[in-house]
Amino acid sequence: MRKSREVPISLLATLALFTTGCRTPETRNCVDAQGHIVPDIDCQVSAPGTGYHYVYGGSSGGHIGDFVYGGSSTPSDAGVSRGGFGHGGGGDAGGE
Amino acid sequence: MRRHNIRPRSGWQATVARTGLTCHTLADGTAYWDESAYWEFTSAEIDRLEAATAEIQRLALAAGDHILDQNRLGEMKIPAAAAARIRETWNSEPPALYGRLDLAYDGRQIKLLEYNADTPTALVEAAVTQWYWLEDCFPKADQFNSLHEKLVAKWKDLLPYLKQPVYFGHDGSEEDFMTISYLRDTAEQAGHRTIPIAMHAIGWEDAHSRFVDLQR
Repeated sequence: MRKSREVPISLLATLALFTTGCRTPETRNCVDAQGHIVPDIDCQVSAPGTGYHYVYGGSSGGHIGDFVYGGSSTPSDAGVSRGGFGHGGGGDAGGE
Repeated sequence: MRRHNIRPRSGWQATVARTGLTCHTLADGTAYWDESAYWEFTSAEIDRLEAATAEIQRLALAAGDHILDQNRLGEMKIPAAAAARIRETWNSEPPALYGRLDLAYDGRQIKLLEYNADTPTALVEAAVTQWYWLEDCFPKADQFNSLHEKLVAKWKDLLPYLKQPVYFGHDGSEEDFMTISYLRDTAEQAGHRTIPIAMHAIGWEDAHSRFVDLQR
């Protein structure tokens, strides 16, 4: 026999109970100072003070130029910077 | 190799979701997980596929050696600034976990389409959902599928190499989240402590020159 004798899943099965469909639980958008979505690259290469920043969550049409309502900025606990890894919302967020 | 049509299980969506495959249907409503057909292989065909897989892995490692030995990273569009770290990492032979080979097979020739070795998806359906499908539909049949045991065994091998807890990064998409959740499950079954973290939530603490999680 080449198949597994058993495939016990506890953590995976528990987490699966709390998901519905293939939704993206959180989005991240790069926005300009006015809160309009801009290409992600603007947040990656722009110098501080230019107004480009990430917004986590919120709602929008998801397209360049759309306004993001709500959401929150990157957690900014003192002395710690976040957001250097991962990529923004929109596009193909899933793995391959 | 033969393709057989079969009636999908009643309520298959909820059934596969319980095995972690929550992304079973595409946005346009068509099934991503399609159990209206299955493929039957002979043992000899599986032997060939398994041998080809091992050979591709050997050749992939040989290609890595060749690229570094012949200084061809530039041709691979690898930035020069990364070359030394890549060489250092390659030579230190850090432990690897898993990869996914995409093969085309017509019953005669095996062709490699892609080797995806960076935490590829399709793991949940391959390791878990297919196994439970077989248990439901053909419990006495064999299946070329022992990913689960191999992952747990590999995590046990890695126990001496990894500091605890082991972090599992994801990019926020549900498909990635369920993939790393399954990997966490196998790691925990092997004795690791695990924590999931979104990639964008990983922090850098300047004062101590270290990466930090959300507890900091």
